[in-house]
Order: sequence, then structure tokens, then C-alpha cells
Amino acid sequence: MGQLLLLSAIPLILAFLSLAAADERSVRRIVAAMLWAQIAVVGWFVAPLLLGAQTLLSFAPDFCLDRLGACFVMLTTTVVACAATHADTFFAGEAEHGHIHNPAHFKIFYACLNMFLLAMSAVFICDNLGYIWISVEATTLFSAPLVYFDRTKNALEATWKYLIICSVGIAFALLGTVFVFASSQHGAIVQGSLNITKLVAHASELDYSLLRLGFIFCLLGYGTKAGIFPLHSWLPDAHSEAPAPASAMLSGALLNCALFGIWRVSRIVVASHHHAFAYEMVTVLGTLTVVAAAIFLIRQHSFKRMWAYSSIENVGLILVAIGIGSGALFFLQALNHSLAKVALFLLSGNIAQAAGSKRLHDLHGVWKASPPLGLLLALAALAVTGAPPFGAFVSEMLIFQSSATPAHWLVATLLVVAVAIAFVAVMTHVGRILLGGAKADFRAFKPVLASLVPGALVIGSLVMGVFAHPRFWEGL
Amino acid sequence: MTLSIYELAVLSASILAIFLLGTTYIRTNLGFYSAQTMAIAAATMLAGSQREPHLYVIALIILLLKAVGIPVFLIWIADRIDAQTDAGTYLPAPLSMHLGILLLGASYILSSELPMMLGHGQGSSRIGATAAMSLLFSGILVMLTRRIAISQIIGFLMIENGIYLFALTQTHGMPMMVEMGILLDVLVGVMIAGLLLFRIKKSFEHIDASQLTQLKD
Repeated sequence: MGQLLLLSAIPLILAFLSLAAADERSVRRIVAAMLWAQIAVVGWFVAPLLLGAQTLLSFAPDFCLDRLGACFVMLTTTVVACAATHADTFFAGEAEHGHIHNPAHFKIFYACLNMFLLAMSAVFICDNLGYIWISVEATTLFSAPLVYFDRTKNALEATWKYLIICSVGIAFALLGTVFVFASSQHGAIVQGSLNITKLVAHASELDYSLLRLGFIFCLLGYGTKAGIFPLHSWLPDAHSEAPAPASAMLSGALLNCALFGIWRVSRIVVASHHHAFAYEMVTVLGTLTVVAAAIFLIRQHSFKRMWAYSSIENVGLILVAIGIGSGALFFLQALNHSLAKVALFLLSGNIAQAAGSKRLHDLHGVWKASPPLGLLLALAALAVTGAPPFGAFVSEMLIFQSSATPAHWLVATLLVVAVAIAFVAVMTHVGRILLGGAKADFRAFKPVLASLVPGALVIGSLVMGVFAHPRFWEGL
Repeated sequence: MTLSIYELAVLSASILAIFLLGTTYIRTNLGFYSAQTMAIAAATMLAGSQREPHLYVIALIILLLKAVGIPVFLIWIADRIDAQTDAGTYLPAPLSMHLGILLLGASYILSSELPMMLGHGQGSSRIGATAAMSLLFSGILVMLTRRIAISQIIGFLMIENGIYLFALTQTHGMPMMVEMGILLDVLVGVMIAGLLLFRIKKSFEHIDASQLTQLKD
């Protein structure tokens, strides 16, 4: 228990501090700096796991961390720290452009940001389906105020839809959790259990028909939160209306949490020797999502909505990786997507801010107006669509290779075609944004300072592509 | 077949939910929601006397927070934002009530498809599953057929009630900590949604969720 407190100490203190502090500018700086300290704390805890000295870190009953979870906790903390660091410049730029926000809104934003980080980290640390559900629902509750930060009508509509659709979706995951719990009451665990380690160990004694129902509901429930195809409607709204740092966190960290929920439940199904069922359900949904997102990407009018649909495409790819049953591919694709997409959302925030519009129609000539932002936008867009030599290329290639079996040739073909369509669509839109004459009133706020975090992320993505070695992700 | 008190409590919850479908006054809706949650608390209490003693605690918390706290909070909000009736969108209220009755029947048929989960008396398990599923369907129906934002909260709460009832009747009861966490989440969720309702009323001057259609591709 002490370890858990240590892990959550910094975000908790920061959350209280943000509410109590009088000066919002210093809060922004302190939160950003302390979150990097939080990365160090988390890193110190999970180092034995990442280095391979240990395979399981047990904190308390129902709370433990395996290697995959450790990787994701590190990724989530890094994403939030990057977003918070960039947020300082971003909000300063907002003030410069005349969007003055109420200091009270900043207090709520930063308090919720820290609690959001805690809730997301909890998803990976909980070894109990019930606690995972509670954590995922908590992420919705804490991120709703982040989406509502701008206090506009559109932000309000997006927040309301986000809250209602995700809550109802997650409610179905709760029903699924109840089914899994009921399935455990047969066989070895008489009183029933939600402990995942226990469930995996006794998977073959679980009542399969109940487990299957539970898996379907959990997949749809957490899938709503991850934005799988027919249930994705909240995602573009929330991602486009939230302020850029919040969109970056939603896309780069929150989606991974929901997918991790699906991964955990799918592990139980696989352990009960029903690989084929888990594979088909998850992979088919994933492929459907990729194809649908690629089609939506062709006709886009809004800058940030485009990246939201690109996130949906990546969620589909990650689902395929989960369906294949490879934790390594799951993490690799999630990591590469997060690196590039966080950079993109942060950059988009600055570009939209400078141009005074997020409609694609109004954006052009960014290359001329601000070369650093333009260059980074081009590189990050290449990185997120899976062009070599960036990391996403390696992970997407591995996913295609693993899914291309004679029995499932259709899945592999659809994936390749859809990813190609998405690439062309995104590149066309980005080309229009970059090229052409610069807008006269394009005023980028401190473009070099604003490029630091996205630049570092793009370099990270490049490193993942160039130096990708199986050693990095073996044994996940 | 005679029903035990436990089964009566469980069934009355789902029947109260069907009554809810038939009324359009928000205050009456919340009254029915409160009554249905009380029936669930009573069922929890009865289950506690047979099985786990920790169910007594949960029953008490449900009674205080969900059956009294949340409805009072929502009535307070409904009065402040002047939301009195919900005419519904696609289905008139009487029709949706009849649909609710049909769904209760469908739940009874569906419940026989479910694998039997608890050993103690097959009938009790089946009635429980029927009521839980019917409650779940009623909640979904409220979410689909009602127009104003506050009804969507009521629909969500009914869905949550249905899932809770399912866990209560079909399992030995979820672990105490999990139930507490779920309740906390639901409570915070309703509070955030309630605060958003004020904002919606202020910005849009209505709380018609079906007119929130500014955002699209």
C-alpha cells in the first residue's frame, strides 16, 4: 500500500495545489515540472520490470504490475507530462490571441489533469476487473472538465455527448464484468472472483457461455470508450472541441486505457483455450474500424477532427494486434501512435491558434508562415500514417505480417488497403495546409518554444523506427 | 408458482420502471426512480439475510444515496432549470410503456436462455434475471425515446440499476469494495452531469438533448 501511495503522491499533491494556488501561471509551470519528476518516480518503480529483473511487481492484493502494464504506465505518464509542458506555451499563446480564460477554469483544468493521470495509471495497476472498470469510468469523469475547458457551446455539446455516451458504453462493460464474475462461480472459485490473475489461472474451469457473454459486453463497453467503429461518435467531437493539450491526452493516453481493458479480458478468454473466438471478435471489429476510419478521413473539414479519425484508425490497428494476441505488438503500435499523435494534436493547437480557425478550408501556407511548425506537422503526419522510417511503419508492418495468414487473407488485404487510403487522405489534407500562400494574419506564438515538445516526440518516433530492435519488446 | 418476498421486491423494481416509461413529468419520473431503487434496496436487504451480511451495508448506502440523495439532487436541478415535462422524441409515453411491458415478457423468455448461475432455487434466479433485464431494457428505452438531457441521466441510472440487480440476483454479490467504487463513480457522474445541465440551460436556453447537433463532419 505504501508503494501505491508513493506512486500517486505527486499527482495528488499537484491536484490539491492547483485548486489552492492563487497564481495560475505558476501552477502551470509547477505542474509541468513536477510531472517530469513523476516520470522519474514511476521509472524508478518499474525499472526492475523493464530491465527484466522481475516479471511481476505486486503492490497489494488486486494491485500489481506486469511488464506490459509497466510500459503503459510509463507511456501514459510521459504523454501527460508532455501535454502539460506544452500547455504552458499553448495557454500563454491563447492569452496573447485574446482568448482570456477565467483563472478558476485553469484551477479546475489542472486539478482534473492530475486526477485524470492517476485514474489512467490505475487502469494498468489494478489486477481486478471491478477496479479496472471503476478506474476507466473515473477517467471519463475527470476528463469531462478538460473537454469543457473552453466553455463554448460546442465544447458543452461535446462534453455532454462524451459524458453520456461513454458512461452508457462503460455501463455495458460493467454488465460484462458481472458476467465474467458469474462465470467464475462455477468450478474452483466458489465465491467468485474478479482478480484477473486468479481468473487466468482457473480459466478452463470458468463457465464458457457466461465468459463469452462477458467478453462481448466488455469489448463493446470498453470499445465505446476506445472509439471502435459504430460506437465512435463521441470521439471526434470531444477531441476537436477540447483544448489541444487535453486532446493530446485523450488520444495519446486515454484510448490506450480503454484498449488495455479489452486486452485484460481477452487474456482470460485466450487462457480458457478459446483463441479463435477472441481473435475473430476483436480482429473483425478492429478491421471494420480501420476501414471505416479510412473512409471518414477522405472527407474532412476540420483539422482536429481529422486527427481524431486517424486515432480511430489506429485504435482499429491496435485492436487487430490485441486480436492476434501479441502484447508486444499492442504496446508497440500504441507507443508509436501516442508519440506521433500527441505531437500532432499539440502542433494543431498552435497552428489553429495562429490561424484563428480549425477549419481545413481556412488553413493554408503554414510552411511559409512558420517553417518550424510546418516542418514538424509534415514529419508528425508522416509518422502517424506509418510512413518509413518512423516507428509506426515497423509496428504496422509487423501487424500486417502477423494477420496475413491464409485463413484470414481478407483481414490483411482490407487492412493494407485501408491504411493506404488513410495515408493518401491525410497527406492530401496536410499538403493543402502546408502549401499555398501564407495567411496574412497568421501569427504563431513563440513557434520555436512551441516546437520543442512536438519535436522531441517526432524524434522519439524516428528513433523507434530506425533503431527498432526485437529486443526492445521481446517478452512483453 | 408463488413468489417469495424477495422475488416480489425484485419484480416490483422492474414494474416501477415500466410505470416510469409511461409518465412524462420529470418529478414523477424521479419519484418512480426513487421507488424502484428502494425496491432494489429492499431486495438487497432480503438477500443479505440469506447470504452475505455485507449486503446490509450496501442496501443502506443504496437507500441513502441512490434512492434519496440522487433523486433529491435531480429534482432540485429540474426545479432550478425549469424542466417539468419531457414530451419524448420518437415514441409517445403510453406506447413506450407498452413496449416496456412487451420487453418484460421478452426478458422472461430470454432469461431461460441464460445459463443458470446460482444454485439456490432455479425460479428465484430466473425471476431475478427477468427483472434485471427488463430494468436494463427500460433504461435503454428511456435513453432512446426521451428528449431532454435530464431524462438521459435518469435512463443511465436505470441501466445502472438493472446491472446492479443482475449482479445481485445472479451472483453471490460483487465484492464490497467494487460495489462502493461503482457507487462513487455513479454519484460523481450524476453530479458532473447535473452541473453540465445548468450550463446547457444557460448557453442554449433549452435542455433538449436531441437539438445538440452542432458538431458533425
